[in-house]
Formats: sequence, C-alpha cells, structure tokens
Amino acid sequence: METKDQKKHRKKNSGPKAEKKKKRHLQDLQIGDEEDARKRNPKAFAVQSAVRMARSFHRTQDLKTKKHHIPVVDRTPLEPPPIVVVVMGPPKVGKSTLIQCLIRNFTRQKLTEIRGPVTIVSGKKRRLTIIECGCDINMMIDLAKVADLVLMLIDASFGFEMETFEFLNICQVHGFPKIMGVLTHLDSFKYNKQLKKTKKRLKHRFWTEVYPGAKLFYLSGMVHGEYQNQEIHNLGRFITVMKFRPLTWQTSHPYILADRMEDLTNPEDIRKNIKCDRKVSLYGYLRGAHLKNKSQIHMPGVGDFAVSDVSFLPDPCALPEQQKKRCLNEKEKLVYAPLSGVGGVLYDKDAVYVDLGGSHGFQESDEVRPTHELVQSLISTHSTIDAKMASSRVTLFSDSKPLGSEDIDNQGQWMPKEEKQIDLETGRVRRKAIFGDEEDESGDSDDEDDEEMSEGDKLDNGSSADESEEEVDAEMTDKVYMAGKGVKRQRLEMDEDSEVDLPAFADSDDDLERSSEDEGEAEEADESGEEEDSTAGKRDILESSVVGDRSKPRLLQTDGLSDGLNLENPLTIKKATLTTSDSGHCTAEEAFASEDETEESSSLSTEGEDSENEEVIRKKFPKSSKVASGQRLGSENLIDETSDVEDLLKEEEDYKEENNYSTETSGALKWKEDLSRKAAEAFLRQQQATPNLRKLIYGTVTEDNEEEDGDTREELGGLFRVSQPSGECKHKLDSLDCSRFHVEAPHDWDLEEVMNSIRDCFVTGKWEDDKDAAKILAEDELYGDFEDLETGDVHKGKPGPDTQIEEVEEVKEEIDPSAEESAKKKHLDKKRKLKEMFDAEYDEGESTYFDDLKGEMHKQAQLNRAEFEDQDDEARVQYEGFRPGMYVRIEIESVPCEFVLNFDPHYPIILGGLGNSEGNVGYVQMRLKKHRWYKKILKSRDPIIFSVGWRRFQTIPLYYIEDHNGRQRLLKYTPQHMHCGATFWGPITPQGTGFLAVQSVSGIMPDFRIAATGVVLDLDKSIKIVKKLKLTGFPYKIFKNTSFIKGMFNSALEVAKFEGAVIRTVSGIRGQIKKALRAPEGAFRASFEDKLLMSDIVFMRTWYPVSIPAFYNPVTSLLKPVGEKDTWSGMRTTGQLRLARGVRLKPNKDSLYKPIVRQKKHFNSLHIPKALQKALPFKNKPKTQAKAGKIPKDRRRPAVIREPHERKVLALLDALSTVHSQKMKKAKEQRHLHNKEHFKVKQKEEEEKLKRQKDLRKKLFRIQGQKERRNQKSSLKGPEEPSK
Amino acid sequence: MATQSHSLSYAGCNFLRQRLVLSTLSGRPVKIRKIRARDDNPGLRDFEASFIRLLDKITNGSRIEINQTGTTLYYQPGLLYGGAVEHDCSDLRGIGYYLESLLCLAPFMKHPLRIVLRGVTNDQVDPSVDVLKATALPLLKQFGIDGESFELKVVRRGMPPGGGGEVFFSCPVRKVLKPVQLTDPGKIKRIRGIAYSVRVSPQMANRIVDSARSILNKFIPDIYIYTDHMKGVSSGKPHAAALLPPGCSLLALGPVSPILLLSPPHSLPQAPVGWRRSPVRSGPILLHSAASTRPRSCSCVIFAGGCIDSTNQSLGLLLMTLGQQDVSKVLLGPLSPYTIEFLRHLKSFFQIMFKIETKPCGEELKGGDKVLLTCVGIGFSNLSKTLK
Repeated sequence: METKDQKKHRKKNSGPKAEKKKKRHLQDLQIGDEEDARKRNPKAFAVQSAVRMARSFHRTQDLKTKKHHIPVVDRTPLEPPPIVVVVMGPPKVGKSTLIQCLIRNFTRQKLTEIRGPVTIVSGKKRRLTIIECGCDINMMIDLAKVADLVLMLIDASFGFEMETFEFLNICQVHGFPKIMGVLTHLDSFKYNKQLKKTKKRLKHRFWTEVYPGAKLFYLSGMVHGEYQNQEIHNLGRFITVMKFRPLTWQTSHPYILADRMEDLTNPEDIRKNIKCDRKVSLYGYLRGAHLKNKSQIHMPGVGDFAVSDVSFLPDPCALPEQQKKRCLNEKEKLVYAPLSGVGGVLYDKDAVYVDLGGSHGFQESDEVRPTHELVQSLISTHSTIDAKMASSRVTLFSDSKPLGSEDIDNQGQWMPKEEKQIDLETGRVRRKAIFGDEEDESGDSDDEDDEEMSEGDKLDNGSSADESEEEVDAEMTDKVYMAGKGVKRQRLEMDEDSEVDLPAFADSDDDLERSSEDEGEAEEADESGEEEDSTAGKRDILESSVVGDRSKPRLLQTDGLSDGLNLENPLTIKKATLTTSDSGHCTAEEAFASEDETEESSSLSTEGEDSENEEVIRKKFPKSSKVASGQRLGSENLIDETSDVEDLLKEEEDYKEENNYSTETSGALKWKEDLSRKAAEAFLRQQQATPNLRKLIYGTVTEDNEEEDGDTREELGGLFRVSQPSGECKHKLDSLDCSRFHVEAPHDWDLEEVMNSIRDCFVTGKWEDDKDAAKILAEDELYGDFEDLETGDVHKGKPGPDTQIEEVEEVKEEIDPSAEESAKKKHLDKKRKLKEMFDAEYDEGESTYFDDLKGEMHKQAQLNRAEFEDQDDEARVQYEGFRPGMYVRIEIESVPCEFVLNFDPHYPIILGGLGNSEGNVGYVQMRLKKHRWYKKILKSRDPIIFSVGWRRFQTIPLYYIEDHNGRQRLLKYTPQHMHCGATFWGPITPQGTGFLAVQSVSGIMPDFRIAATGVVLDLDKSIKIVKKLKLTGFPYKIFKNTSFIKGMFNSALEVAKFEGAVIRTVSGIRGQIKKALRAPEGAFRASFEDKLLMSDIVFMRTWYPVSIPAFYNPVTSLLKPVGEKDTWSGMRTTGQLRLARGVRLKPNKDSLYKPIVRQKKHFNSLHIPKALQKALPFKNKPKTQAKAGKIPKDRRRPAVIREPHERKVLALLDALSTVHSQKMKKAKEQRHLHNKEHFKVKQKEEEEKLKRQKDLRKKLFRIQGQKERRNQKSSLKGPEEPSK
Repeated sequence: MATQSHSLSYAGCNFLRQRLVLSTLSGRPVKIRKIRARDDNPGLRDFEASFIRLLDKITNGSRIEINQTGTTLYYQPGLLYGGAVEHDCSDLRGIGYYLESLLCLAPFMKHPLRIVLRGVTNDQVDPSVDVLKATALPLLKQFGIDGESFELKVVRRGMPPGGGGEVFFSCPVRKVLKPVQLTDPGKIKRIRGIAYSVRVSPQMANRIVDSARSILNKFIPDIYIYTDHMKGVSSGKPHAAALLPPGCSLLALGPVSPILLLSPPHSLPQAPVGWRRSPVRSGPILLHSAASTRPRSCSCVIFAGGCIDSTNQSLGLLLMTLGQQDVSKVLLGPLSPYTIEFLRHLKSFFQIMFKIETKPCGEELKGGDKVLLTCVGIGFSNLSKTLK
C-alpha cells in the first residue's frame, strides 16, 4: 500500500541541472565538442556582413547607453525609514481588506479599524508604513508626493475608473513612485476565457500608463471576507523585496508622514478662547533629507510654519537587532499605529506611555528591547517624581504651617523658599536669588557631574564651602572681593590642572560643549531669576529660617528636589523658558537620567571615568575649602555645598571658555592682563587651536554681554538676544568690516628656529614616511629584485605589459619562499594588490567618464556615511540635522485651532520641509499643457488650484506664448494640443519641479479632474508678459508724403515717447512718427512712403505689459470639519459667480449674432452694344425672339354665321350623338358586368373540377397503396401466402 | 498666505557684507540697526552705500530701506540677476571689498555676471585684486565653477587716494556645487608672484623681486616673480598727494593637489610721506626694508597654513555650505575673527553647524596648528537660473 503512495523519482529532462548532466554525459563519451555549435560549425557564426555587424553592434551599444542614468550620490540612510505604501483605489474595491490582510500577513495581528498610517516590520531590514488613500483629490495629491510604493487596486469586474487614471497622472507629475496594480473582484467572472481576456486587456492598458512590463497582481477571490492567504503572502513578498529609485523631490526635501498628533496648548488659553492658535506636536519618521531645527515646513492642507522644536525619540517600531537568521521571530513582528490605537509605546517629551493591550501576540516588554531599560526607568522615574514632589511638599509644610498656607497656591514663591536657608547663613539678601538659581543651574548644567559623583563624594564635598556665593558676595564687599580674587587665581591654576588631569574633558568636545551650552542657558536664567527674586525680598527670610532648621532631613531628597526645581523652573521663571534653546529637551532628559542614578546611588558603582573625576574633585576641594573657610565658618548646609561643588566645576569650565574667548576680546577683561604675563607663548598656541574652538564659535552665546551689561540688558529687551550670537558685538559693533586677518603677534622670521618651523611645508622639507621618496626607495632596496627587474625592463625596452606582468609573477614565486619575515610579506601583499589594481584597470581599458563619475559618487557616499558615524546622535543632530530614518517629534506653534478641532486621522498629515527661500513668494513661470483628457480649455485670469512641491494652492495664472523674438505674448485661453507658458504669483519652487492643476478640489466632477500639467521653468521677481495694443489715428492734413495725424495720443509728452516709432495705414503704407505738433493736443507730424488719403486710418502696433494679480491662497482642506474635508472651495471664477448670481453678461450689441436677412437681388439685363452684337459670331449673338406680330387682316379667318336651318340640323345631330354615346356607355357597363359574372361561374367550375380530380387521385393512390402493401406483405410472407 | 520667512536683526555696521550676502543667498530679510549710531558721523559710509547700490544692481526685486540718518538698514533680498554691469566703487575701500562679496554671489545668478568695477585696486585694508585673482579663483574652481568665461582681469591699476583702477570680472552660473575634500595642503613646490609698480620707475619692481628672492630662497629655489609695470592711462588717476608704492603679491603652489595655497596679501606698511620725492639714494633702502617685510608676512601665512588662506576662508566655507547634501571637508589655518563671525552667521542664516577639529602639528615642522572643518551641505540649488 505505502509503496504505491510514494511517487517514483522522475529524472529531470530540462533545466540547468539536466543540461549539466547531459553535458557531463557527453563529455564522458568524448563527444562534448559536438554540443557547442560554435565549435562544431564555426562558419555559421563567422562574420557574414560587416554592415550588419556594425548595425548590431550599434544597436547593442544604444541599448546599453539607454540604461544609463545620471549617477547620483546614494544618500539613503543606513537605517532607512519605513517605506510608505499607499493603497489606492476607487471606493468598494477592497482597500481596507487588503491592508488588513497585509498587516495580518506580516504581524499575525488583526486590525479591525484602520485609521491613518500603520507601520509594521516586514522583514529583517525593511519596515512598511501602509496608508489608505480615498478618492478625495486632496488626499490623492498629498499621498502621491510621499509614496514610495503605490498599490493601485482595480476592480476587474468593472474595469478602470477615473480615480485610477487621475492618481496615475498625479504620480507622474510628482516623481512617479513605484506602482503596482492589484486586480480584485476576479471571482465575479463565470467563464475562464472572459477572465483571461479581461486580465489581458487591463494589463495592457495598465502597461501603457505605467511602463511596459509593470507588475499587475491578481487577487483571485475572497475567502471568508479576506483575500487568499497565499496570494497575500506573495504580494507581501513582492513588496518586501522591491527596489526603489530615489525621486528628486523626495530626496532633496525632508518630510514626515505624521502618525501621531498632540495638542500642547495651555488648557487655560483654550478655556479663555477656544479659537486660539494651538501648539501641536507631531510625530513620525523623518524621510528624505536631513531636517534642521528651526527650519521652515509646509503642511499640505494647513499652511506654512516654522519648526519651533525638533527632538528625536527612540524608534517605536524598531528593526530587529542584526542577527544571522533567516526570518523574524514573533516578537520582532511589530506594528505601530497610534492613530488607530495600536502599537505599544508612545514616547512623549518627558514621559512614556505603554499600551498594555490584551493581545497575547503583542508582547510589549520584549519587543522594544533596545529601549527597554530606558522605558522602564523612565516609567519609574515619572512616578517617583510625582511622589517626591508630593512628599517634599508635605514635609515642607508640615513643619511650618503659616508657610504652607501662603505658598501652596503660588509655586513661584515656593521655589525661592528652598533657597532662603542659605540666605540666613550668609545674611545676604541678594544671594538667595542667585543661589536659588544657581542651585537650579547646577542641577541643569552639571548633569554629567551628577551622574558621575557618588553619594559618598557628595558627603566628602560637604566639608567644602559655598564658593560661588562668595564670588557674588565678593562684588559687594571689599574684603570678600579680595578673597574672590584669590579664588580666581587659584582657579587659573586649577584650570591648567584640569586640562592636564582631565583628558576626557579636554578631548571630548561634545560632552563638554553641551554642558557649556546648558550653562549658558543657566546663566541667563540666573540673571533673570535674580531680579525676580530680589523683588521677592526679605519677606521670605523668616520662612527660610524655619526651613533651615530641617535642612538635614531634606538632604535625602536634595537631588530629587533640585531636579524637581529644574523642571519647575521654566514655569516659575518665564525668562528662563524663553532662553532655553533647542537643546532644552536633551537637558530635561538628562535631568531625568541623573535623577535616576541618584536614586539608586546608595549602591552606586563608580566607573573608571567616575573615579578619575572624583580624584580631580578631591584635588581641588582642599584648595577651595581653604578659601571658603577663610570667609565663613563651617557651614551646616550640606545641600549648598554639594551644589557649590557643582558650581565650582561649572565655573571652571566657564573660565576655560573665557580663555578661549579672549582670543577675540583682546584686553577687554581684567583678568587677561594677569594671564597674558603668565601664559605667554603657550597661551598663544592654545588660543589658536583650543580644543573648544567649537564652543568659541557657537557656544556661550551672550556670556560676555551679560557680564558687562548687567542691567542694561533688560532695556535692550529680546531684540539682541534673538540673533546676536557674537559675544564681542559690543566692541566690534562698528569696527572695520575687513576679511583680512592681521596676526597680532608675528614671529620674528629672521630667527633660524622660527624659520625652521615651516621648513616642512616645502618640497625641500621632510616628507611623511609613506610619501618620502628616499625612504620608499630605501625600503624597496630590501627587495632589490624588484628594482632590478623594473630597471631591467626599462633597459630592455619591452613596453609590453603582459610580459612584464608575467615576469613579475615569476619573480614573486621566486621570492615567496625566501621571504620569511612578516614585514616583507606585508610589503609583498601591498605590492600585489597594487599590481592587481593596475591589471584590472589595464584590462578594462580606459575607464569611461561614466565609470569615473560613478566611482566619485560612490566615494562621496562612503564619506558621507563614515563622517559622523562614530558620534552619538545628540552631537550628530547638531552637525547634519536630523537624519532620515529617525523617529522625531516636531513642535509647531500657532497652528489654526481648526486643525486640532477638526482632526480626522483618515487624512494624512504631512510635514514637508522647505528649502532655502522656498517659503518666499514670487512670480513663477512654468511650461504648461492642458491635459488631453480635460474637457474644457483654461482661461487666463481664472483662478485655478495648483499642486507644486508640497503645496496645494489657488492662484490666478496668466497664459502666454513665446514669440520667435522672445516676446511673451498673453493668451486668452490655453491652446488645445500645445504647450504654453503660464505665470502666477505664488511660492518659489525650484526649477524643474513638476506640477498639476485642477479646477476645483471640492465635490465630485463627472469628468477627468486634472486640468493641466507641466514643469516650473523660472522664478523671477518681475515679469514681461505683454499684450497687443493698437493705437489708431486719423490724418487731418496731408502734404506730399508728410501728414499731420491726430487722435492717436493725448499729449505732446506721449508723442515724445513714441518719436521714431513705426506706424502704418490700414492700406499698408508705412511711416514714422516725427514730432509732436502744438495745435491739437496729441497730434504729430509723420512721414510716409506714399501720399495718404483723408480716408486712411493710421495705426501703431505696441505691446502693453500685463500685471499678474498677486493672489495666492493655500488650499486649507485639512481645516474643514470632519466629513467635509473634500468640500474646500476657494475663489470662484467669474463664470461661476455669474452663474450663481444669475448675472448675465451684457454683450456688445455688435458682437451678437442676428438672423441674416438677404434681400432679393435684381440683376439688370445684360446690355450688349449693337456694334458688338454685330461683331459677335452668330453662336454668341443674343437670341432675341421677335415678338409675334399681329396677323394681318388678309390672313385672318372670317367668322361663320349659320342659318337657322343649319342651326337646327346641328342641334339635332348634337342630340343624337349624345344619345348614342350614352347608349354605348351603358352597353359597355353591361358587358363588363356580364363578363364578371361569367368569370365567377367559370372559376367555380374550375374549382369543382380540381376537387373532383383530387378526390379521384386520392382514391387512386389509396388503392395503389393498398395494393402495394398487399404485395409487400405477400412478399414478406413468402411462399406461404400463395398456398393460402 | 505664505509666511515670509522671519527676518534677522543685527546691530552695528561690522560684517555688513556678510550679512547682506547671506541674506541674498538664503532669501531671508535682514535688518541692521545702530549703524555707527554713537559716532560723530552716524550712518552708512560711502563705501557701504556703494556696496548696497552694487547689490541692487545685480539683483532683481530687492527692497532696501534706509532711514534718514542712515543708521538703520532693512534689506529684503530679491533674486540674483547678473548680466553685464558696471559699477564705480568708492575710493575709500579697495575693489577687493566689493569683489569678495561678488565672488560669493556670482555663481548663483540668473545670467552670467560680467562686471566692470572701477576704483582702487590695491590698498592697505582690503585684499588686493591680484590676491583674489591668485587665490579665490582657483578656490572657486575646486567647487566646479569653471569655464572659459571665468576670469578676473586687472585692466588698470589705481592706488588709494585717487583710484582710477579698473577690473573686469566674469563668472559662469552654476546650478549646484560640488562637495570638496581639501584636507591635504601638500607641499609647496614653487613660488610664483607678481610685483607691480605704478607711477614709479620700473626698476622698483625689480628691486622688490630681488629682495623677496633673497629671503625666500632659503626655503625653496623655484621662485619666479613677474613684474607688472603699468603706465599712462592704466596707472590710475593722478593725485596730488598720491603715494604710489610699488607692491607685490606672492603665491605658493602646492605640488599634487591643484590647491593654490597661500597668498601673502599684506600690502606694504604705509610708506613715509614724501617717499617718492626723497632722493634716489634713500629710495632703494626704504624699498628694500619694505620689501623684506613682505616675505616675512608671507612666511607667517605659510605658518598659518591650511588649504585656504585666511582671506578666503569664509568664501570656502560658504561654498561648502551651499553644496549638495554631502560631506565637505577643509583644512584651515587659525580661523580669523571674520571667519568666526561668518560661521555664526552661517548658523543663523542656514542653520548649519560645522564640525570643528583641531589638528595639532606633529613632529613635522609645518607651522601652526590647523583646523579641520567639516559640514554637510544644505542642498542649495540656484533658484535664479532659468530652465530651458
């Protein structure tokens, strides 16, 4: 039984394997050669015709070059963003079902309701963002611009629909992403043949639209409301392996398909005014190009905005870690669709929300492995902050009752309270504010320190005193001032120390710089805080004293508190929030992190770096503490001290900055004098190339200003700070604008050493090892063979490279055994590689321009990748912007409230980055062609909606055509089957960008909606479109060739402008305007080539420039209420307005059509002169019939008059004949009647006769038949019958 | 309505050119306040006004508003137009002042720029035309701006008080720029130079050459310094108190890389008044001492080193910024204050930040420390150029 079930092995008869076998078999039989036709019959493959060969060669070359594209630098990021798959099709074609099936295929999850984009991991290296596109043309246009792949669903039972073609055209204009057709509803066909035919028909139509051979996928039918698994699997496979060509617009602009939106507006503002402008944050994967912070973006359907903040978040739908395995496991099959409420984690600026869905297929904790720890920690942090805040308050107010009641409502005053403890000790009013802020700052700025310092350290530091405070004090009291100086001096030394001791600090620019930035902010905050706090005044001292008592218990919470303060600082001090720059987000995060560490710091394990740091700190603190103790008795406040330590660190850094800074601010600061003596030459060098050059240029924004200005800064207001990154602006504000760099301290170039210092810049100097000819030569002499060989070669004069190579190879073989040292081997390898490279190059022949270009691009791409690879994202983002593939959060301010109120997740929200000056508006000239399927022609000055770049907007174009002399002549309508120019006033878009135009985006139009397509040609600030203007005049006095003409101009001035212009009469006489006349205003003298008539009309042809209406109205379809988003209507055309208002155009009466009434034309008779008539031949002589003349009397017959007798006779005869004729008539009738009757009778007789005959015949036949039958019977019966 | 990109605001007349040039290229309006507000003679100077007029000539549709006292300037840039232009520069500054900015703008015009500038060709303050010709043009070539029509010609020489010099500059138009990697300055193979003299004896130039050689020969023997003596009309306007010192500019050429390295741009320190009339015997001495300062400053420039000399640092950085979205690198000597400010301006106008690394000189005796600047271009494309 079982043996029967098993199939018998069948040998392969075709395919590569079978062929191989066959070949082997033949070879075994020694007849392998027979197989190869070329060898067997070489003549058949010889050159038959040189011409044909040339042609075929030409053709192959043509085909080859056709395949070439201009090589572009490959800028695709290493971790690319998900591919945007747009599922498009007319309604009821099965889009949602397909998306659901695809998601199920990839993730084994079923999404019932899909809103907005869904991001899924489809493979080891690919993610997909699937989004559905309805039939609203707004949506179609927007999605076509961001799509990487379009799945175009077509109902096969119905055929193509208009939407499909419209979408194809939109795609074509905006760069043509990959398009794959999907035929659905194939199960509605009953007959296979019909199905096949339909498929073929649709396929070929699809091919003409896309490209021949475009993939058209067939989904044969539904099973339980879903497509068949196998087919969906195949489709998914197609999608995952698909390759994409970069599209110009997409690769040159950053863009985001937002998958999440949040309203960040202050709820109070909304409560006050529900229509207030909103602040929203949008999330999504960054695609296309690098996005810079603070750049301009456009949201199609909403408008232009400036990005107020960008930050990158951990990837919510990350690709799996790179592992060597074939497929994803279940945990890695992620799905992320926040708008549909799917996808585990939502990252916020300062919080993480985890959706712990009940679905067992989606296991949250494991999926987000890379960010797992962070998530957990953040979650815990979040909760602890709240707890801490709450607890701190409780403890705070439990001790001091009056205090609590006063300050609970006002948080701004709660903060200073914290600091007032310090105030008590020092007895300074001013300090408390500073301290309070400084404490905050220290928390802000010294995140790293916080992280690195262990709890034990802090306790150590506890003995040290508050230095920063003293510095402030120092400015106030002389005694303290001295001490402050001491501190400064010490710090100077310490600075050097730190540079020696802290290589990490000195080298790692980025960490340091970031912290310095924070400091910058902090300082600003400090200052502003100062003022506020000082106003708070002494009132708080009492309260602070109360707090001071319980400073010890609070120590446990210090860090939490200070961090909490940091978080609250922005709220309480408005200035601070204003000044926080783009890195604000990072600091906040860091604050969190640091807090975290301190929480767990009871068992904190210090790392290598930390220990280093500690050492440094310990070194310094003895010194600083000395100073401090001189100033102040042992301070009890431990919090202060810890913070002061941080302050100290910070200030050291500040100091370093100042050092750098001093390169420019020569002699501006006091301390520089001291320094210049000490530092001398070393300083000069440091100055030129400090490790923190970056900080010098970009960082520490207004530090100098603040120090100097102090209070005046307030007066200047925000104006300075907005865009004044330069610190030295004070002294350099109005100095000489010169690019030349005068070296301040020129070296003495006569000295030998100094001169030697640049010795190596010249070819005569020392070379690097790898370039030094002498060294290379010396090295090569180790293997003298090579040199000998080469020289030998030269001597022999063998230019043939082949022989040379062979020889080299031989030599190598010889050498190989002998060369044992590794160094030698290495050298050999190097040489061989070089040789191989040379060989390869030589064999290929000279590389073409194309190859060179490609190589160059490849090199550049590699460089791009490698340049910032080793840096962390924080730093990278600053240099190159946010790179595509990152999941970013973008904050936008002043968004219309309708965007939030009427938010519909089904509509895509796209943030398209704008290039330089693409946010500006100007005149745009384009080449335009009315779409051949659009029914009407377009009229100049009719508003029309364009889709250019990211934008959709309504504008008023003017159409023009360029004459042969370059003149741009206005057209009233677009030509039918021709390109024409169009100019409108709108957003500047780079040349070469495609565009399309639609008449309206609202409602459903019966016909093809795309009115025109084309490309942007030129951008300009002025236009030169002209229309023809004919000025007419009349001669009023005519001399010989000169005439006086009036009525053309209104004044002599006008005439003067047109002197020398060419004029012409209607009859074609040409002339020229000479000079204005005095008498009638505007008359002039003109000369013509001939004498005019008074009836002539003189005209001049001129060109009148047309102005283009500056009308630009973005289509704000996303602001419409939900469900009405496809009803946007902008400015109406005059025609529409007239129709709506029922206003009829009053036409010019002359141009109306009237019924043509033609008068009867009377021709006069032809008169031929008699002489001529005579001369004519007879044939042509007019044939005039002579009128019949009167019959002469002699011809006329006389009348007969009868006698009475004769009359009687005649009468009788008359009567008789009448009678006779009557008689005859009667007889005739009678005869006719008779005949009729006779005929009837005859007929009857005939019928009877026939009947009789018939009967007779019948009878006869019957008898005959009977007879025959009888005969037959008898014959059948045979002989028996006769016997009968 | 499209939001007009918000304008930037500055104070003070310093770096006026940078601001206006960057504003033109980025399309962002700029407002400059407090121009010499506390000066006895407030407001814009002649040469600045002339610069603004020049900008107006080469652009189309720019809006310039200056208040009554001239202390506030608002500039809304138009599109760069180009074409054939003539401009009379102010004699207060050299033509270099104008030419430096034109070099930044010229590749991005609608029509190729062909401009005739008249004024002072060589002076103490600005880089002389010869220097720009020798250094800036090869730099632009690195970025793919090249062609037959790319030239800078000194038609006439004019010296400070009188002026009367004439320079013709033409530059082709490019849509995009190439990224550059200028990280290896290479070694100086030869030194070429030009010694010019105007309204003095032609022998003066020769003497300059001799004294320059005497010093430079210690470094490298391959030196050739051309002499350029201009007479008559092409020697500028005669001026009563004209001091017309002969000048010289030298450039050192690297070996492999076609990078033109250095230009010792410093003109002579102001010669003593009456120098021309001084007896012949004292002339050469003065001249000699003057000339010998030149190679010294030259060696100072070599000491600074880098692939681009200090005058053109900002030009190089600008063109790197305006490149495609690719990484460009350049090795520079110490950054001049002008360049530092320019970097800041680049950040505020284009949101671009350079990665700055210092390269300390190793054992090699190659002069001072170098700075390696790296950036990713913003993907700038010439919006003025017409597509045919």
